Amino acid sequence: MKDYDVCIIGSGAGGGPVALTLAEAGYSVLVLEKGPWFTEDDFFKDELACCRRSVYTPDLKDEMHVLEEYDGQNKDGSYNWASQSTLESGSDFWNGNCVGGSSNFMSGYFYRLKPKDFRLLSEFGPIKEANVVDWPIDYAAMEPYYTKAETVVGISGKIVPHPHQEPRSTPDFPYPPTIEHAVSGLIDKACLELNMHPLPTPRAILPHAVGDRNGCAYSGFCGSYGCQTAAKGSSRAALLDKAVKTGHCKIQPYAKVYKLSSDQSGKVTSADYFDKNNQKQSVSAKIFVVACQAIETSRLLLASTGPKHPDGLGNNTGQVGKNLLFSAGGSGTGEFTYKQFDTELANGMKQRGPFVNRGLQDWYFINDKKFGAPAKGGVIDFLFRHPNGISKANGEKWDNNGKLMWGKPLKQKLKTVFAETKYLRFEVFNDWLPTNDCFVSLDNSVKDKWGSPVAKIRLGYHDHDLKVGRYLADKSEQVLKQMNAKNIRSSVSGAPPPNLVAGGCRFGDDPATSVLNADCQAHDAENLFVTDGSFMPTGGSVPYTWTIYANAFRVADIIKNSL
Amino acid sequence: MRKELTKRALRQWDSSVPEGLQERIEIKQSRRNFLKTAGIIPAALILSACDNTSSSKGSSYKTNILLQAPWNTFSAVQNHLFPKDNESPGADDINATSYLRSVLALPGTDEEDKKFIRDGVGWINDISQKMFNKDFYLLNNQYKEDVLQRIASSSAGESWLSLLLLYIFEALIVDPVYGGNTNKVGWQWLEHIPGFPMPPENKRYYLLR
Repeated sequence: MKDYDVCIIGSGAGGGPVALTLAEAGYSVLVLEKGPWFTEDDFFKDELACCRRSVYTPDLKDEMHVLEEYDGQNKDGSYNWASQSTLESGSDFWNGNCVGGSSNFMSGYFYRLKPKDFRLLSEFGPIKEANVVDWPIDYAAMEPYYTKAETVVGISGKIVPHPHQEPRSTPDFPYPPTIEHAVSGLIDKACLELNMHPLPTPRAILPHAVGDRNGCAYSGFCGSYGCQTAAKGSSRAALLDKAVKTGHCKIQPYAKVYKLSSDQSGKVTSADYFDKNNQKQSVSAKIFVVACQAIETSRLLLASTGPKHPDGLGNNTGQVGKNLLFSAGGSGTGEFTYKQFDTELANGMKQRGPFVNRGLQDWYFINDKKFGAPAKGGVIDFLFRHPNGISKANGEKWDNNGKLMWGKPLKQKLKTVFAETKYLRFEVFNDWLPTNDCFVSLDNSVKDKWGSPVAKIRLGYHDHDLKVGRYLADKSEQVLKQMNAKNIRSSVSGAPPPNLVAGGCRFGDDPATSVLNADCQAHDAENLFVTDGSFMPTGGSVPYTWTIYANAFRVADIIKNSL
Repeated sequence: MRKELTKRALRQWDSSVPEGLQERIEIKQSRRNFLKTAGIIPAALILSACDNTSSSKGSSYKTNILLQAPWNTFSAVQNHLFPKDNESPGADDINATSYLRSVLALPGTDEEDKKFIRDGVGWINDISQKMFNKDFYLLNNQYKEDVLQRIASSSAGESWLSLLLLYIFEALIVDPVYGGNTNKVGWQWLEHIPGFPMPPENKRYYLLR
């Protein structure tokens, strides 16, 4: 007799859909979450709590990563990699570690992938030194679950026809867009003058109350912050609260799973974890689902050795941790002074709360001789500079020569930045190509507070990513220029954004080159599924969360049918 | 095909990247710079900078504590870095010294970072004594500026001042529930619109986990 039908490790966007689907079907579900269980009653617009102290993420002296960065080339052409723990460098690689995971703190820019994203190799051919492959499923297999997520997670938006619109089974979003800022009209005007197609950005934010969740309160502090109205479609607010109400789902916070044990047949038998008092516990289930976010999922599988899995679960062909993905691209900024607008527009521009909600997909696929052969491009999103005041002030304390400022000159600068200037930014998202130089392994020497080897992440990237990112950043700058913004600048780099991570356990039909099959079930352990972003062989050029939700709903149905 | 990833020039994504990431990196680098140069600072001076307020007795010390070492030095540095003028609040108006004292006493900030901040007091007074035969807080404005310029010319010194500025900015813009930004004077001056709901006392960050 097993303790549970299904045990899910991780409660974020990959875990929530499985918990809800199976609990609603009457199966007993246990969700093990490493972090605490915050609710709407714990979320305030407190910059210290959200962003300046380790409240939603572990203390780095307890849990850290080791990052490997390129450190020069040898005579034989091979590369050197310098490794350093994040405790030493301060370069924190954690996202949200609490019930609901980092979906609590997302901005909720939600995009579907497009049909060609499922077959990049066939569409665009190979790229040297990149491991581009087609997916084992097509867009049609995912589409019903993208649609399901729109209603269940709560995605608001408005379909505006454009050249790269992906096929949909419903005419429009189930919830209308959130309220827009005065600047959105200015972006539209500039884009139309440039013959571009400005699009409303779909958001995982409810514009009005639905069930137990309230609509958005438009505080203006969304990304990086937990949502106190439950309007944001976090796994916790949208899915897990509902799953618990069925009476079939238990959520266990402060449960740090350090190993999945397996038997002589290769099947997973138990999830072994440390509880809040650091005591070892063990729980059995018929099916185990891992969804700890890509890096920690690979780490857990690599640490879970067993009689049939000498190198870790799912790793019988050495694929676990390989082909890790981030999001490539960059960002840029332009400045407006309130003085350049008439009073009404200036007041509109000063307003905090409404969303910018504008993006461009004109170069989702690039067909431009100046660029080269037809290629996969990406998306551009417009947004304001983050409203966090402490962070903003601290970023202004250096003068143009990199010298520290203080006294009167510093205070004058702060006044200008805060009270006289509006900063419109853009972000470019394009594919982070999978390569042999971006992967997760276990570190041999650095251990977390429970004595487990931490994840070591090699952070190589492909130059093609920068070429695409720069192409899109230049297009974005044209829009800011058309809007008469001043001091326009942008930066495209190979620095990985730790919050946009996927891959490491890619799915595929061939066990020699993939960890999971098309059902996201481990090739070498039949009762093990992975439902976070780890399954993605290529990332697409959009934030991952909607695809993670959709795929987890898809796999949940597969598991339900197998129980 | 890979190029060097210079320092984590992480993009300031507007999604779930912790906003404080850049600063945390900065603090760690400060500490490393400091440790590298710590050898040139007499150990006795570093030790003398320890907070001795815990040995104070009686009820009046609470009101006078900011006049005692090391807080008198912190206060003097903060007021020089962030002076009051006719249009805007200064360090005293935002309770910057008392706020820094709470930061150094509360969890959530690395213990070694706290030590780095405390140790700097010994360093600044050492330089002040060498230049003008007085502790920093006793100097006139011009001499204070001279000392800070001297300190800022070393990377460790600049890092220390940069950290003090960070906690001045926190005191300026933090929610008043944490003891800075008295009567929201920082928000009013900067025309900063805060988000709602604001944290009540029983939900301050160190009470959440």
